[in-house]
Amino acid sequence: MADAVLRSLARWYSVPLVLAVWELLARTGAVSRRLMPSLVEIALAVWDAIASGDLLFHAGISLGRAFAGYALAIIFGILLGVAMARSRAFDALFEPIFSFGYPVPKIALYPIFIFVFGFGNLSKVMMIFLECLYPITVNAFYGMRGIDRVHVWAAHNMGASERQIFWRVLLPGAAPAIFAGLRIALPISLIVVIITEMIGESRGLGYFISYASASFEYSTAFAGVAAVAVIGFTLDRALVWLRNRLIFWERGAAFIGAA
Amino acid sequence: MKAAAAPFSRGRRAALGLALPLAALAAWELSARYGTVPDYLIAPSRILAATWEMVLSGELWRHTADSLLRAIGGYAIGGAAGVAMGLLAGIARPVERFYDPIVSLTYPVPKIVVLPILIAWLGAGDASKIAVITAAVFYPTFINALYGAKGVNRLFVWSARNMGAAPLQVFAKVILPASLPQVLTGLRIGLALAFIVTVAAELQNSRSGLGYLIADAENSLRFDLMYAAIIAIGVIGFAGDRVLVALRRRALAGQTLGKEGAHG
Repeated sequence: MADAVLRSLARWYSVPLVLAVWELLARTGAVSRRLMPSLVEIALAVWDAIASGDLLFHAGISLGRAFAGYALAIIFGILLGVAMARSRAFDALFEPIFSFGYPVPKIALYPIFIFVFGFGNLSKVMMIFLECLYPITVNAFYGMRGIDRVHVWAAHNMGASERQIFWRVLLPGAAPAIFAGLRIALPISLIVVIITEMIGESRGLGYFISYASASFEYSTAFAGVAAVAVIGFTLDRALVWLRNRLIFWERGAAFIGAA
Repeated sequence: MKAAAAPFSRGRRAALGLALPLAALAAWELSARYGTVPDYLIAPSRILAATWEMVLSGELWRHTADSLLRAIGGYAIGGAAGVAMGLLAGIARPVERFYDPIVSLTYPVPKIVVLPILIAWLGAGDASKIAVITAAVFYPTFINALYGAKGVNRLFVWSARNMGAAPLQVFAKVILPASLPQVLTGLRIGLALAFIVTVAAELQNSRSGLGYLIADAENSLRFDLMYAAIIAIGVIGFAGDRVLVALRRRALAGQTLGKEGAHG
């Protein structure tokens, strides 16, 4: 027991170390207290924001938007990626859009999205959808393309139908790449929801943080940042857990901090 | 799998690839000219003319230069720190031990959330934007450099040591070249992020730059300016990526390791 505690302390020592340095800077007044609130003050602000219901309200709104856009991107991204990998016509039609559009910051289109879809949820959901669509589609495409032909031939040889080959060979073969795309897109959905809420909105965590910051309540702003951090970390872990459940035959999704 | 159809010829493939964008542009142009569409859908020909006018007047350059300064500033600092720390962590266990918990906890957190706080700390000028871009670029470059250095075949390192190479030589001649493909992958992801964060930061709070130009043009309903700025951002993002791909091809010429496709 004591051994296990010591070992996990040895593994994670840098996190408490950084927090201790933060606390020290805040307490000694080396940095202005107002700009760098102590951890206790931030914890109290988190508690206040939870108790008043503000934090959960704004977090719920941000999560709803992020999930809606992410889910749409998953559906259309996988469909498009698979269709592009299976049909030359689809590939020729869409490949330029994806290879040229990939490095372009699509967030620049957000003002147009506001005009087209309005100021509310829809413009944000569509922006998240567009940004997440790219990595999901491209990864699904390369996953389907990267499947060893020998597996397909072997299945053919053993009398599998086209349908069986798709569900039993192609889709499982592409699944690790598809999940890699999902993992890239997940933080993107959070980035986009936060940015769009910071730009023009009166609800959501992005608004919560920029409002608290603009009214000089920095411990409340840090409480919002902490909430985003917890959400991002938890969702990422949940996705890795799900992946390891579904793709039980191949490990190694957690490219960092894999315990 | 389908029976192998005859592959499309290059010309036919290119024609199909242009079909969707061209059809969309034509529909847009025609409906903007002859139909009743909302104000913000001004005709592509007018957008091009406005863009050209702004190029000539120098206004577009000014904002582009401001955006590039921020993006490249943050990219240079974040990328240099990420690659250096990542390689160091890849070869030195204590360094990896220090970074691993911090990076794995904060990696899935969108860095843009700290922008309002950075603005309070550093002011609303270039410094806060460069700081948030630096943070965003650091993560992918660090992680890729770390795994590049860790993934170097031990046999190469042992052989080099055996033949009497000093530790510094091993690093420069073995570890650095062998991890280069993955380091460059990280730098490519980082560049795309640098542009996204630049535009996002400028949209949110700025007095100059292409993101500001978009927001300002939108507020004053100058849609031609808005589209011109969007085009400039697209061109920069695309051109930056192409430059990195070309650099990568040069740097890895002759190397058989890590030949991935065009997508990072």
